[in-house]
Amino acid sequence: MKAIAIRSPSPLPGFGLSFGIMLTLLSIIVLLPLAALLGRGLTIGPVELWGMINSRRVWTALALSFRSALIASLFNLVLGLLLAWVLVRYRFWGRKLMDAAIDLPFALPTAVAGIALTTLYAPNGPFGQAFGALGVKIAYSELGIWLALIFIGLPFVTRTVQPVIEEIDRECEEVSATLGGSRAYTLRRVVLPMLTPALLTGFALALARSVGEYGSVIFIAGNLPYQTEIAPLLIVIRLEEYNYDAATAIGIAMLAISFAMLLIINAIQVWSRRRIGNG
Amino acid sequence: MADIPVQAFTPVTTEHRHFRAVLIGISVFFMVILLFAPLATIFATALSDGWKAAAEGISSPDALSAIRLTLTVAAIAVPLNIIFGIAAAWAIAKFDFRGKAFLITLIDLPFSVSPVVAGLALVLLFGSHGAFGTWLIAHDLKIVFAFPGILLATLFITFPFVARELIPVMIEQGRAEEEAALTLGASGWRVFRSVTLPNIRWALLYGVLLANARAMGEFGAVAVISGKIRGETTTMPIMIEMLYNEYLSVAAFSLASLLAALALVTLALKSLLEWRFAGQLAATRRH
Amino acid sequence: MYIDIDELAKEFGTSRALHPVSLSIPAGALVALLGPSGSGKTTLLRILGGLEFPTSGRVLFDGKDATGMSVQERRAGFVFQHYALFRHMTVFENIAFGLRARKRRERPGEAEIGRRVNRLLDLIRLPNIGGRYPSQLSGGQRQRVALARALAIEPRMLLLDEPFGALDAKVRKELRQGLREIHDTTGLTTIFVTHDQEEAMELADLVVVMSMGRIEQIGKPADIRSRPSSDFVRAFTAA
Repeated sequence: MKAIAIRSPSPLPGFGLSFGIMLTLLSIIVLLPLAALLGRGLTIGPVELWGMINSRRVWTALALSFRSALIASLFNLVLGLLLAWVLVRYRFWGRKLMDAAIDLPFALPTAVAGIALTTLYAPNGPFGQAFGALGVKIAYSELGIWLALIFIGLPFVTRTVQPVIEEIDRECEEVSATLGGSRAYTLRRVVLPMLTPALLTGFALALARSVGEYGSVIFIAGNLPYQTEIAPLLIVIRLEEYNYDAATAIGIAMLAISFAMLLIINAIQVWSRRRIGNG
Repeated sequence: MADIPVQAFTPVTTEHRHFRAVLIGISVFFMVILLFAPLATIFATALSDGWKAAAEGISSPDALSAIRLTLTVAAIAVPLNIIFGIAAAWAIAKFDFRGKAFLITLIDLPFSVSPVVAGLALVLLFGSHGAFGTWLIAHDLKIVFAFPGILLATLFITFPFVARELIPVMIEQGRAEEEAALTLGASGWRVFRSVTLPNIRWALLYGVLLANARAMGEFGAVAVISGKIRGETTTMPIMIEMLYNEYLSVAAFSLASLLAALALVTLALKSLLEWRFAGQLAATRRH
Repeated sequence: MYIDIDELAKEFGTSRALHPVSLSIPAGALVALLGPSGSGKTTLLRILGGLEFPTSGRVLFDGKDATGMSVQERRAGFVFQHYALFRHMTVFENIAFGLRARKRRERPGEAEIGRRVNRLLDLIRLPNIGGRYPSQLSGGQRQRVALARALAIEPRMLLLDEPFGALDAKVRKELRQGLREIHDTTGLTTIFVTHDQEEAMELADLVVVMSMGRIEQIGKPADIRSRPSSDFVRAFTAA
């Protein structure tokens, strides 16, 4: 195996075995299917591929998925920061329960979350009625999509920022105060810049997750073409029509978005490591 | 001279207490409307026609077969995940080779691929019109719209979970202990069993919990590849969707409350691990 | 500025960090708070800086009660043992921080800020490091930058918590001299905390020996050496 030749020598055994198992499973389960998707795209040809992506219905769906994910992740950026700060810095009754519950969206199946949110926020649901009285329709509108994506993405920012807040040197805040900085100035100019890399990472992770989200959204969205039809749903519809080429086209467009996000996440991590250093 | 009441001063490194109260209030408000209320809704709707109706919802033949299928998928997917996770972490944490960072990115890939795209990719590979389609038909093997497809989709989605937990922990622990054991004459397997495994067991359990929760709850990828054949390829989440779309709320939510209960158990165990064994888990986690 | 400490006490929960202590510090003095860890010296320094509030007693600056004064109003240049430099800011931005934190009408213009920061960089004899980040500096350089940052706000006093504690012996000796010079140029009332009796004796005009939250003795270095008031002081100041 080529990799063995390019690794540094080590007295520990099992490199060939572990590397082999890893590469085999990774190839069969992840890489081969994705290669099949890209391969299918190649046989269709870039011009035809573009032709199938470049329709109003596909664009609307991609734009909706991306826009909703962006809005939900921005909301989670603020809420996630607030939750992380409150959970690390304040002591109050129920804090540990809240800390444990933050991960609920990771543990609760998306379909279950979807039907629960829909029941709650549908026009005849308890929260839906309250919002309806204010003239706001949440379920079966774009707002519903935002809500589902906020639910799905909630833990990402909090969980990336929490350990960073725990490690903040309190003396940096104290020294800012002795230099005349008000509490608000200290938070804005000293604390926030320290959290920025983690905030951006959490934001990007939440965004990557919500762009492709399907299970929690389809129940609450209403799924009207040109209005509340997200891109993953359009893939499912095309597959049900046995239109594999059209499904492939949208799938490749979404995969491109995912890759772009991965690159952004990596770039943020490199940037923050360079900027903060280890001093 | 009067004593100065200590509470009158706000410590320098915190906010004014009114402001603190407002921030806590906002946090609690959003936790309630986003997390606690939906959770309560699941159980409340399941029990809205009483215990008996809820029990019938989870004991119908279709529901029972969905539960059986979901448990079977998890029972195969999770151990495979453990094998992959340990192999990946061992190779990545204990050895130096080129392209390691790229490999880690590949392992993380399923986190950022839409479950529906994952399902689509599997259909394109194993479906009748797919790359292996003709060969599979010739050998009378069925993957798409059958159990193997559901398993592959679940594996794709849960793929990074265990590896993600183990890699940072094993990197942090270095290789000195293993090397010491080797110099004492232990065999490779023995070193792994008696030195490495005890060091990573809590991180491993943590990863297994997350992988299991996701394996039993996966929807998007499975929805695409399962074909939703009632009683045959309907996992619990798929069954929930079908019941919900047939307006059988109580049945849908009874089944959902089983998965919600699993989620609660997962969270409880996870918190327990975090409080008891914080030092033996990865310092930062983000999924 | 002269400082009076009047029957100051501090409790953390049930434990007493400071028993009522009283102390007068004349304007322009260079004072060492000397004692082993847990003697209450850092607590006293933090109370003076406004980072901690006393359970009872008073602090007076120039004869005026400053006990309840906020940390921002005190204008105490505070240097922490590990410096607490802002890692995401350059040396220049670190030093300019206190000037930029001022309210708009009290804030000097950018040109003036630049002039002042450069003057301080000259004072600490590191004129060319303004563009660097703290992670690119040596320990001794970091300490001097922290000192310059504290001086930038034109403080009324200088408070230093174990200012040489994190440095190796050779650098420590150099920087002691540097602190003495800065004190002499600025004429600021300067109080530093140390557990190193040699450092206190060599540098300070006035040494305050503390133990278990109490002041054991106050005096000039020579007096403390020649006439220790207790067995503790004798043992602790024996070289």
